[in-house]
Amino acid sequence: MNPSLKLLLVLLLSLEISFTQKLVVNLLLIAVGLGLVIATRPGLLTLLRLLVVPAIPAATLSITIGLFTPGHDWFFAAVLASRVYVYVLLGSAVTLSTPPLRLARSLEQNAHLPAKFAYGTLAAINLLPRIVTAVKTIKAAGQMRGVTLSFWSPRLYFKAILSAITWSEQLAQAMESHGFVENQPRTVAQPIPLSKIDWLRFVGSFGLAQVVLIAFP
Amino acid sequence: MSTRYHLKDIILLALIGIIFGVIYYAGDFIYNGFSILLTPVGLGPMANDLTMGLWCMAGPMAAMLLRRPGAAFLGEFLGAAGEMFLGGQWGAANLISGFVQGVATELGFAVTRYKHYDWLGLASSTFFATLITFGWDWFRNGYAHFSLGLNLILLVARFISMFVFCGVLVKLIANLLERAHVIKPA
Repeated sequence: MNPSLKLLLVLLLSLEISFTQKLVVNLLLIAVGLGLVIATRPGLLTLLRLLVVPAIPAATLSITIGLFTPGHDWFFAAVLASRVYVYVLLGSAVTLSTPPLRLARSLEQNAHLPAKFAYGTLAAINLLPRIVTAVKTIKAAGQMRGVTLSFWSPRLYFKAILSAITWSEQLAQAMESHGFVENQPRTVAQPIPLSKIDWLRFVGSFGLAQVVLIAFP
Repeated sequence: MSTRYHLKDIILLALIGIIFGVIYYAGDFIYNGFSILLTPVGLGPMANDLTMGLWCMAGPMAAMLLRRPGAAFLGEFLGAAGEMFLGGQWGAANLISGFVQGVATELGFAVTRYKHYDWLGLASSTFFATLITFGWDWFRNGYAHFSLGLNLILLVARFISMFVFCGVLVKLIANLLERAHVIKPA
Protein backbone atom coordinates (compact mmCIF):
# COMPACT_ATOMS: atom_id res chain seq x y z
CA MET A 1 0.00 0.00 0.00
CA ASN A 2 1.09 3.58 -0.56
CA PRO A 3 3.09 4.67 2.54
CA SER A 4 1.11 7.88 3.20
CA LEU A 5 -2.21 6.07 2.96
CA LYS A 6 -0.92 3.27 5.16
CA LEU A 7 0.14 5.77 7.82
CA LEU A 8 -3.18 7.61 7.58
CA LEU A 9 -5.14 4.36 7.90
CA VAL A 10 -3.22 3.28 11.02
CA LEU A 11 -3.58 6.71 12.62
CA LEU A 12 -7.33 6.79 11.92
CA LEU A 13 -7.85 3.28 13.30
CA SER A 14 -5.72 3.97 16.39
CA LEU A 15 -7.68 7.14 17.08
CA GLU A 16 -10.98 5.39 16.57
CA ILE A 17 -10.26 2.55 18.99
CA SER A 18 -9.13 5.13 21.57
CA PHE A 19 -12.68 6.39 21.79
CA THR A 20 -14.60 3.12 21.40
CA GLN A 21 -14.84 0.20 23.78
CA LYS A 22 -15.15 -2.88 21.59
CA LEU A 23 -13.13 -6.04 22.11
CA VAL A 24 -13.67 -7.94 18.86
CA VAL A 25 -12.37 -5.18 16.61
CA ASN A 26 -9.29 -4.84 18.84
CA LEU A 27 -8.54 -8.58 18.65
CA LEU A 28 -9.05 -8.53 14.89
CA LEU A 29 -6.69 -5.57 14.51
CA ILE A 30 -4.13 -7.34 16.72
CA ALA A 31 -4.31 -10.41 14.45
CA VAL A 32 -3.92 -8.27 11.32
CA GLY A 33 -1.13 -6.21 12.87
CA LEU A 34 0.72 -9.32 14.01
CA GLY A 35 0.36 -10.85 10.56
CA LEU A 36 1.71 -7.70 8.89
CA VAL A 37 4.62 -7.51 11.36
CA ILE A 38 5.55 -11.16 10.78
CA ALA A 39 5.28 -10.62 7.00
CA THR A 40 8.16 -8.12 7.23
CA ARG A 41 10.31 -10.96 8.63
CA PRO A 42 11.51 -9.20 11.76
CA GLY A 43 14.22 -10.82 13.88
CA LEU A 44 13.04 -13.04 16.73
CA LEU A 45 14.28 -10.46 19.22
CA THR A 46 12.22 -7.65 17.65
CA LEU A 47 9.13 -9.83 17.64
CA LEU A 48 9.60 -10.86 21.27
CA ARG A 49 10.15 -7.25 22.31
CA LEU A 50 6.94 -6.19 20.53
CA LEU A 51 4.99 -8.86 22.37
CA VAL A 52 6.59 -8.70 25.83
CA VAL A 53 7.22 -5.00 26.48
CA PRO A 54 3.59 -3.82 26.05
CA ALA A 55 2.57 -6.49 28.57
CA ILE A 56 3.57 -4.18 31.42
CA PRO A 57 1.30 -1.21 30.61
CA ALA A 58 -1.42 -3.62 29.45
CA ALA A 59 -1.31 -5.57 32.72
CA THR A 60 -1.05 -2.42 34.85
CA LEU A 61 -4.15 -0.88 33.28
CA SER A 62 -6.29 -4.00 33.27
CA ILE A 63 -5.40 -5.05 36.83
CA THR A 64 -6.18 -1.57 38.10
CA ILE A 65 -9.51 -1.48 36.27
CA GLY A 66 -10.49 -5.02 37.24
CA LEU A 67 -9.46 -5.02 40.89
CA PHE A 68 -9.28 -1.45 42.09
CA THR A 69 -12.14 0.47 40.47
CA PRO A 70 -15.69 0.63 41.80
CA GLY A 71 -17.12 -1.21 38.76
CA HIS A 72 -14.62 -4.15 38.60
CA ASP A 73 -15.28 -4.10 34.87
CA TRP A 74 -13.14 -6.95 33.50
CA PHE A 75 -14.55 -6.51 29.98
CA PHE A 76 -13.26 -2.96 29.87
CA ALA A 77 -9.99 -4.21 31.38
CA ALA A 78 -9.62 -6.57 28.43
CA VAL A 79 -10.49 -3.74 26.02
CA LEU A 80 -7.72 -1.56 27.48
CA ALA A 81 -5.13 -4.34 27.43
CA SER A 82 -5.95 -5.22 23.82
CA ARG A 83 -5.89 -1.51 22.93
CA VAL A 84 -2.25 -1.25 23.98
CA TYR A 85 -1.39 -4.16 21.69
CA VAL A 86 -3.31 -2.64 18.76
CA TYR A 87 -1.28 0.58 19.04
CA VAL A 88 2.00 -1.29 19.22
CA LEU A 89 1.38 -3.88 16.50
CA LEU A 90 -0.32 -1.60 13.95
CA GLY A 91 2.24 1.14 14.61
CA SER A 92 5.16 -1.22 14.15
CA ALA A 93 3.57 -2.75 11.06
CA VAL A 94 3.98 0.69 9.43
CA THR A 95 7.51 1.42 10.62
CA LEU A 96 8.83 -2.10 9.94
CA SER A 97 7.42 -2.21 6.39
CA THR A 98 8.31 1.35 5.34
CA PRO A 99 11.87 2.68 5.26
CA PRO A 100 12.00 6.34 6.44
CA LEU A 101 13.22 7.54 3.01
CA ARG A 102 10.24 5.98 1.24
CA LEU A 103 7.82 7.50 3.74
CA ALA A 104 9.45 10.93 3.38
CA ARG A 105 9.20 10.71 -0.43
CA SER A 106 5.59 9.61 -0.26
CA LEU A 107 4.64 12.36 2.19
CA GLU A 108 6.24 14.92 -0.13
CA GLN A 109 4.78 13.57 -3.38
CA ASN A 110 1.41 12.14 -2.34
CA ALA A 111 0.51 14.13 0.77
CA HIS A 112 2.14 17.37 -0.48
CA LEU A 113 4.06 17.97 2.73
CA PRO A 114 6.61 20.77 2.14
CA ALA A 115 9.93 19.17 1.16
CA LYS A 116 11.79 20.96 3.96
CA PHE A 117 9.72 19.15 6.58
CA ALA A 118 9.95 15.76 4.89
CA TYR A 119 13.69 15.84 4.30
CA GLY A 120 14.64 17.96 7.31
CA THR A 121 13.12 15.37 9.64
CA LEU A 122 14.62 12.57 7.58
CA ALA A 123 18.07 14.15 7.92
CA ALA A 124 17.67 14.23 11.69
CA ILE A 125 16.52 10.61 11.79
CA ASN A 126 19.52 9.50 9.74
CA LEU A 127 21.79 11.16 12.28
CA LEU A 128 20.56 8.82 15.00
CA PRO A 129 23.73 6.68 15.34
CA ARG A 130 25.77 9.85 15.86
CA ILE A 131 23.28 11.15 18.42
CA VAL A 132 23.53 7.95 20.44
CA THR A 133 27.32 8.09 20.31
CA ALA A 134 27.35 11.76 21.28
CA VAL A 135 25.14 11.19 24.34
CA LYS A 136 27.42 8.33 25.42
CA THR A 137 30.50 10.51 24.90
CA ILE A 138 29.06 13.34 27.00
CA LYS A 139 28.26 10.90 29.80
CA ALA A 140 31.72 9.31 29.60
CA ALA A 141 33.38 12.74 29.63
CA GLY A 142 31.42 13.53 32.79
CA GLN A 143 32.47 10.24 34.38
CA MET A 144 36.13 11.11 33.80
CA ARG A 145 35.66 14.19 35.96
CA GLY A 146 33.77 12.17 38.53
CA VAL A 147 30.42 13.70 37.50
CA THR A 148 27.53 11.37 36.83
CA LEU A 149 25.19 12.82 34.20
CA SER A 150 21.74 11.28 34.10
CA PHE A 151 18.37 12.14 32.61
CA TRP A 152 17.76 14.72 35.33
CA SER A 153 21.06 16.59 34.75
CA PRO A 154 20.60 19.92 32.93
CA ARG A 155 24.23 19.76 31.80
CA LEU A 156 23.66 16.59 29.79
CA TYR A 157 20.82 18.19 27.82
CA PHE A 158 22.77 21.44 27.50
CA LYS A 159 25.76 19.77 25.88
CA ALA A 160 23.57 17.64 23.63
CA ILE A 161 21.67 20.75 22.47
CA LEU A 162 24.96 22.48 21.62
CA SER A 163 25.85 19.50 19.39
CA ALA A 164 22.38 19.58 17.83
CA ILE A 165 22.78 23.25 16.90
CA THR A 166 26.09 22.54 15.16
CA TRP A 167 24.71 19.49 13.37
CA SER A 168 21.58 21.28 12.17
CA GLU A 169 23.70 24.04 10.64
CA GLN A 170 26.07 21.57 9.00
CA LEU A 171 23.29 19.35 7.68
CA ALA A 172 21.31 22.29 6.27
CA GLN A 173 24.46 23.59 4.61
CA ALA A 174 25.27 20.17 3.18
CA MET A 175 21.75 19.77 1.79
CA GLU A 176 21.79 23.24 0.29
CA SER A 177 25.17 22.71 -1.31
CA HIS A 178 23.72 19.58 -2.92
CA GLY A 179 21.04 21.68 -4.57
CA PHE A 180 18.20 21.60 -2.01
CA VAL A 181 16.31 24.90 -2.23
CA GLU A 182 13.37 25.63 0.06
CA ASN A 183 9.96 26.29 -1.48
CA GLN A 184 11.13 25.59 -5.02
CA PRO A 185 9.56 23.02 -7.33
CA ARG A 186 11.52 19.80 -7.24
CA THR A 187 11.96 17.04 -9.78
CA VAL A 188 11.25 13.54 -8.60
CA ALA A 189 14.02 10.96 -8.60
CA GLN A 190 11.85 8.06 -7.54
CA PRO A 191 8.11 8.48 -7.95
CA ILE A 192 5.95 6.80 -5.30
CA PRO A 193 2.81 5.52 -7.03
CA LEU A 194 -0.62 6.22 -5.59
CA SER A 195 -3.00 3.99 -7.52
CA LYS A 196 -6.71 3.33 -7.46
CA ILE A 197 -5.95 -0.03 -5.85
CA ASP A 198 -4.27 1.79 -2.94
CA TRP A 199 -7.39 3.87 -2.40
CA LEU A 200 -9.60 0.80 -2.75
CA ARG A 201 -7.60 -1.04 -0.10
CA PHE A 202 -7.67 2.01 2.17
CA VAL A 203 -11.43 2.49 1.91
CA GLY A 204 -12.04 -1.27 2.09
CA SER A 205 -9.95 -1.80 5.24
CA PHE A 206 -11.41 1.22 6.99
CA GLY A 207 -14.96 0.23 5.98
CA LEU A 208 -14.45 -3.34 7.18
CA ALA A 209 -13.24 -2.06 10.54
CA GLN A 210 -16.40 0.05 10.86
CA VAL A 211 -18.61 -2.95 10.16
CA VAL A 212 -16.83 -5.08 12.80
CA LEU A 213 -16.91 -2.16 15.20
CA ILE A 214 -20.68 -1.79 14.90
CA ALA A 215 -21.61 -5.45 14.65
CA PHE A 216 -19.56 -6.99 17.48
CA PRO A 217 -19.16 -6.15 21.20
CA MET B 1 9.90 37.89 15.73
CA SER B 2 10.30 35.45 12.88
CA THR B 3 7.60 32.89 12.38
CA ARG B 4 9.07 31.16 9.36
CA TYR B 5 10.82 27.86 9.66
CA HIS B 6 13.86 27.22 7.55
CA LEU B 7 15.47 23.90 6.82
CA LYS B 8 18.03 24.50 9.58
CA ASP B 9 15.30 25.12 12.20
CA ILE B 10 13.33 22.06 11.17
CA ILE B 11 16.39 19.83 11.43
CA LEU B 12 17.19 21.34 14.84
CA LEU B 13 13.65 20.78 16.15
CA ALA B 14 13.63 17.16 15.00
CA LEU B 15 17.13 16.64 16.44
CA ILE B 16 16.12 18.01 19.84
CA GLY B 17 13.11 15.71 19.95
CA ILE B 18 15.23 12.70 19.03
CA ILE B 19 18.04 13.59 21.45
CA PHE B 20 15.60 13.94 24.31
CA GLY B 21 14.11 10.61 23.27
CA VAL B 22 17.54 8.98 23.39
CA ILE B 23 18.30 10.45 26.82
CA TYR B 24 15.03 9.50 28.42
CA TYR B 25 14.93 5.98 27.19
CA ALA B 26 15.86 5.62 30.84
CA GLY B 27 12.29 6.77 31.45
CA ASP B 28 11.05 3.42 30.20
CA PHE B 29 12.83 1.59 32.99
CA ILE B 30 11.44 3.97 35.56
CA TYR B 31 7.98 3.53 34.13
CA ASN B 32 8.25 -0.26 34.27
CA GLY B 33 9.69 -0.20 37.78
CA PHE B 34 6.96 2.10 39.11
CA SER B 35 4.31 0.02 37.33
CA ILE B 36 5.41 -3.19 39.00
CA LEU B 37 5.71 -1.53 42.40
CA LEU B 38 2.44 0.41 42.30
CA THR B 39 0.05 -2.02 40.62
CA PRO B 40 -0.38 -4.30 43.68
CA VAL B 41 -1.59 -1.33 45.75
CA GLY B 42 -3.98 -0.16 43.05
CA LEU B 43 -1.96 2.86 41.93
CA GLY B 44 -0.46 1.27 38.79
CA PRO B 45 -1.48 4.03 36.35
CA MET B 46 0.48 6.52 38.45
CA ALA B 47 3.64 5.23 36.73
CA ASN B 48 2.32 6.84 33.55
CA ASP B 49 1.62 10.15 35.30
CA LEU B 50 4.93 10.25 37.16
CA THR B 51 6.97 9.83 33.96
CA MET B 52 4.72 12.00 31.74
CA GLY B 53 6.82 15.13 32.30
CA LEU B 54 9.85 13.44 30.77
CA TRP B 55 8.05 12.72 27.50
CA CYS B 56 6.82 16.31 27.16
CA MET B 57 10.15 18.10 27.68
CA ALA B 58 11.11 18.55 24.04
CA GLY B 59 8.20 20.92 23.36
CA PRO B 60 8.88 23.61 25.99
CA MET B 61 12.62 23.26 25.37
CA ALA B 62 12.15 23.95 21.66
CA ALA B 63 9.99 26.98 22.49
CA MET B 64 12.64 28.39 24.86
CA LEU B 65 15.31 27.89 22.20
CA LEU B 66 13.58 29.22 19.07
CA ARG B 67 11.04 31.56 20.70
CA ARG B 68 8.45 31.66 17.98
CA PRO B 69 4.91 30.40 17.46
CA GLY B 70 4.80 26.73 16.53
CA ALA B 71 8.18 25.81 18.01
CA ALA B 72 6.76 23.88 20.96
CA PHE B 73 4.38 21.93 18.75
CA LEU B 74 6.98 21.16 16.09
CA GLY B 75 9.63 20.18 18.64
CA GLU B 76 7.30 17.68 20.24
CA PHE B 77 5.71 16.40 17.03
CA LEU B 78 8.84 16.09 14.87
CA GLY B 79 10.58 14.43 17.81
CA ALA B 80 7.73 11.91 17.94
CA ALA B 81 8.07 11.37 14.18
CA GLY B 82 11.76 10.67 14.72
CA GLU B 83 11.19 8.36 17.66
CA MET B 84 8.77 6.42 15.51
CA PHE B 85 11.79 5.02 13.66
CA LEU B 86 14.10 4.62 16.64
CA GLY B 87 12.78 1.15 17.27
CA GLY B 88 10.64 2.62 20.00
CA GLN B 89 7.90 0.14 20.73
CA TRP B 90 4.99 2.42 19.88
CA GLY B 91 5.72 2.90 16.17
CA ALA B 92 3.24 5.14 14.38
CA ALA B 93 1.11 5.49 17.52
CA ASN B 94 3.88 7.84 18.68
CA LEU B 95 2.54 10.41 16.22
CA ILE B 96 -0.81 10.65 18.01
CA SER B 97 0.76 11.13 21.45
CA GLY B 98 3.25 13.56 19.93
CA PHE B 99 0.41 15.53 18.38
CA VAL B 100 -1.56 15.76 21.64
CA GLN B 101 1.51 16.69 23.70
CA GLY B 102 2.62 19.18 21.05
CA VAL B 103 -0.72 20.97 20.99
CA ALA B 104 -0.80 20.96 24.80
CA THR B 105 2.63 22.57 25.32
CA GLU B 106 2.10 24.98 22.44
CA LEU B 107 -1.17 26.21 23.95
CA GLY B 108 0.68 27.24 27.12
CA PHE B 109 2.89 29.65 25.17
CA ALA B 110 0.01 30.75 22.93
CA VAL B 111 -2.08 32.05 25.84
CA THR B 112 0.87 34.19 26.96
CA ARG B 113 0.78 35.58 23.38
CA TYR B 114 4.26 34.20 22.71
CA LYS B 115 5.80 36.96 24.79
CA HIS B 116 6.85 35.02 27.85
CA TYR B 117 9.75 32.70 27.31
CA ASP B 118 10.38 32.72 31.03
CA TRP B 119 8.84 31.30 34.21
CA LEU B 120 5.36 32.47 33.27
CA GLY B 121 5.40 30.83 29.83
CA LEU B 122 6.79 27.61 31.25
CA ALA B 123 4.29 27.53 34.12
CA SER B 124 1.44 28.09 31.67
CA SER B 125 2.79 25.39 29.36
CA THR B 126 3.10 23.00 32.31
CA PHE B 127 -0.47 23.71 33.32
CA PHE B 128 -1.95 23.10 29.87
CA ALA B 129 0.22 20.05 29.24
CA THR B 130 -1.03 18.49 32.48
CA LEU B 131 -4.69 19.14 31.73
CA ILE B 132 -4.72 18.18 28.08
CA THR B 133 -2.65 15.01 28.34
CA PHE B 134 -4.82 14.02 31.31
CA GLY B 135 -7.93 14.57 29.22
CA TRP B 136 -6.45 12.37 26.52
CA ASP B 137 -5.73 9.57 29.02
CA TRP B 138 -9.28 9.98 30.30
CA PHE B 139 -10.37 8.26 27.07
CA ARG B 140 -7.35 6.33 25.90
CA ASN B 141 -6.15 4.76 29.12
CA GLY B 142 -9.53 4.38 30.74
CA TYR B 143 -9.07 7.02 33.46
CA ALA B 144 -12.82 7.69 33.16
CA HIS B 145 -13.39 4.38 34.93
CA PHE B 146 -11.23 5.19 37.97
CA SER B 147 -12.69 6.57 41.17
CA LEU B 148 -12.62 10.32 41.75
CA GLY B 149 -10.03 9.93 44.51
CA LEU B 150 -7.64 7.98 42.29
CA ASN B 151 -8.10 10.49 39.48
CA LEU B 152 -7.19 13.36 41.81
CA ILE B 153 -4.06 11.53 42.98
CA LEU B 154 -3.08 10.85 39.35
CA LEU B 155 -3.70 14.46 38.33
CA VAL B 156 -1.49 15.74 41.16
CA ALA B 157 1.23 13.19 40.31
CA ARG B 158 1.14 14.28 36.68
CA PHE B 159 1.32 17.95 37.56
CA ILE B 160 4.34 17.36 39.81
CA SER B 161 6.07 15.40 37.05
CA MET B 162 5.33 18.13 34.47
CA PHE B 163 6.45 20.83 36.85
CA VAL B 164 9.75 19.13 37.66
CA PHE B 165 10.74 18.14 34.12
CA CYS B 166 8.97 20.60 31.77
CA GLY B 167 9.24 23.50 34.23
CA VAL B 168 12.27 23.33 36.50
CA LEU B 169 14.57 21.16 34.39
CA VAL B 170 13.80 23.01 31.13
CA LYS B 171 14.40 26.34 32.89
CA LEU B 172 17.75 25.11 34.26
CA ILE B 173 18.81 24.00 30.76
CA ALA B 174 17.66 27.34 29.34
CA ASN B 175 19.73 29.13 32.01
CA LEU B 176 22.84 27.23 30.91
CA LEU B 177 22.10 28.12 27.27
CA GLU B 178 21.72 31.77 28.24
CA ARG B 179 25.02 31.80 30.07
CA ALA B 180 26.64 30.28 26.98
CA HIS B 181 25.03 33.07 24.89
CA VAL B 182 23.19 30.54 22.74
CA ILE B 183 19.90 32.27 23.58
CA LYS B 184 19.32 35.83 24.68
CA PRO B 185 18.22 36.42 28.28
CA ALA B 186 14.43 36.49 28.62
